[in-house]
Amino acid sequence: MAKQATSPIAKTARLLDLVPFITTHQGISIKDLAKEFAITTEELLDDLNTLWMCGLPGYTPLELIDLSFESGYVSIRNAEILQKVRLLTKEELVVIAIGLDFLKESLSKDREDLLIAITSLLKKIKSLIGDIAQATPTVDSAHRAIILRALKERKNLEIEYHSLIRDQITTRIVTPLELGEDKGIEVLLAYCSTANGFRTFRLDNVKQAKLLDASNFIAEVQNGSEEIFRAKCRVDSRLRTTFERFRLETDMANSPSLSSGKGITVEVTSFSQDWLVRNFMSTLANTQITEPEDLAKSVGAKARATLELYKNERFSS
Amino acid sequence: MSRKTERLVNLTIALLATKRYITKSEIFRTVDGYEGTAESKERMFERDKDDLRNLGIEIEVGSFDPLFEDEAGYRIKPDSYQFQLGEVSSQEISLLSLAAEAWRGAALDGSALTALRKLHAIGIESDIESIPDLAPHANIRDKNLQVAISAITSRQKISFKYLNEELIEQDRKIAPYAVTSRYGHWYLYGLDLEKLEIRSFRLDRISGDVAPEGKPGSFEIDKEFDLSSLSKSADEVRAAVIYLRTGRALALRSRSKPSSTQSAIAGWDLVELNFRDQERFIEEVLWYGDDAIVLEPKDAREQIVKRLELGVKRYG
Repeated sequence: MAKQATSPIAKTARLLDLVPFITTHQGISIKDLAKEFAITTEELLDDLNTLWMCGLPGYTPLELIDLSFESGYVSIRNAEILQKVRLLTKEELVVIAIGLDFLKESLSKDREDLLIAITSLLKKIKSLIGDIAQATPTVDSAHRAIILRALKERKNLEIEYHSLIRDQITTRIVTPLELGEDKGIEVLLAYCSTANGFRTFRLDNVKQAKLLDASNFIAEVQNGSEEIFRAKCRVDSRLRTTFERFRLETDMANSPSLSSGKGITVEVTSFSQDWLVRNFMSTLANTQITEPEDLAKSVGAKARATLELYKNERFSS
Repeated sequence: MSRKTERLVNLTIALLATKRYITKSEIFRTVDGYEGTAESKERMFERDKDDLRNLGIEIEVGSFDPLFEDEAGYRIKPDSYQFQLGEVSSQEISLLSLAAEAWRGAALDGSALTALRKLHAIGIESDIESIPDLAPHANIRDKNLQVAISAITSRQKISFKYLNEELIEQDRKIAPYAVTSRYGHWYLYGLDLEKLEIRSFRLDRISGDVAPEGKPGSFEIDKEFDLSSLSKSADEVRAAVIYLRTGRALALRSRSKPSSTQSAIAGWDLVELNFRDQERFIEEVLWYGDDAIVLEPKDAREQIVKRLELGVKRYG
């Protein structure tokens, strides 16, 4: 983590929070206290030395906050005025409210007690800040917890995974390697014993996760040999939606041909030919494949097969 | 810079400890750290008040005697300083902490960290055993979310550039009201100050930085504003009847009404489901190609046939 100079304001906030924390954790070690506040021990000692100079007007030893920390353990006296825990700022309340929304969705049915507790906390918070934030998670927090445990304990997982590309839900045994992110979606990189290869799984498509006792040792995260499919196409309309669908950077669109109404030619890539075919089916009205020809042919064949069903009388009533 | 920190802490202590309002001259005389000319002390004090307000510490201004126009006095009411969720159980502490943990490494991890410190400072051991293993995660790093939330809570207007469907940047200025997260996307709601209507904006379609405009406290959120009803799409719900090949088109199938899986055609199910945005619905059905055939609504079916004909003509 890059070391940032703390502003006097942030430092003030930290000092005000240190007092109640030390008050309820008298005798805490310098090391633990620094860890709790996510600062170095040098920064903490500097904080404590500053705090030592603070107190009630008069600033005699009677009025000053009394700290002792020479022994490596911190205790505090004469700080009654500041010993109450500070109020949560509105921003902190919003952060918590959104987090509670995430939790709410992942509780199992038998934990109604927790649902009630969360609902009442949310009600309390919303009475303070108003109804200004709501969140519906796409990833189940319980499944995510199991994945994290598997990563930490180096254990295998059995996951039920919904692949939108294959239009299939499959059960797979995987050795998790790391969590990552792909264009705003959290993904699990894992070695899949079912597929015998490294695979990336979108967390929002993990339907079930089970910790297994077994573990595999994966020597190297290497998957550079996987084939990448490329296609060129012209996007004529619904540009923003289509760019998002093909996961293209929107600043690519600063092209002069756009203003002349001729659409914009882009290159799209994927590890899956099937993903390309499906996306070009979805965007038949907005895109036109210019190359490669075999991709255009696949989309054409898919369109023909689908159209035949629409023309079939059995499917018209 | 520790002098400034020291002064802010001392000012907080003095204003919290006093039962009555204390005047500026009393503050300058007794609180450590106010030095220099009268003017510079004045400036220092004004800045300190703003700084404390930014930390959520409200300084109350009053006078000693309401009947006379006395010199203004200042104090911090203990009630507005201290933790405001009242008594909390160890289970509640666990839930609140877990909720804040969701932001670790995400856009608002600064606020999450300070919230966690305060929760831990309460000194009640969290009762983590009573909570199932949950690891929520707010998977967003966009700095604009933090700017937006801070603008909402401080009632400050904002402006930004927004990409329209033609990918052209448009200048927007809004009074921000709320944020939501749905289907993995974050949305910002607010009163568009040009169109004078409530509008929603997908955060990742904002190009560049959200910029605060004017001062905090420059608007009120409309009392009629109801996030729960707004966060649903404005389009009306329409019903669709679709043939799905058995075992295929799983995402469509999972949204269908449970009562509706029988069909006269072997190997196919006839399902009913609702949609709002017709264009999105058509694109989704086309994703499944010859595994999903729309029967109704008729206009959607016609659109799909037209597009398939275009595809056959173009690529066939």
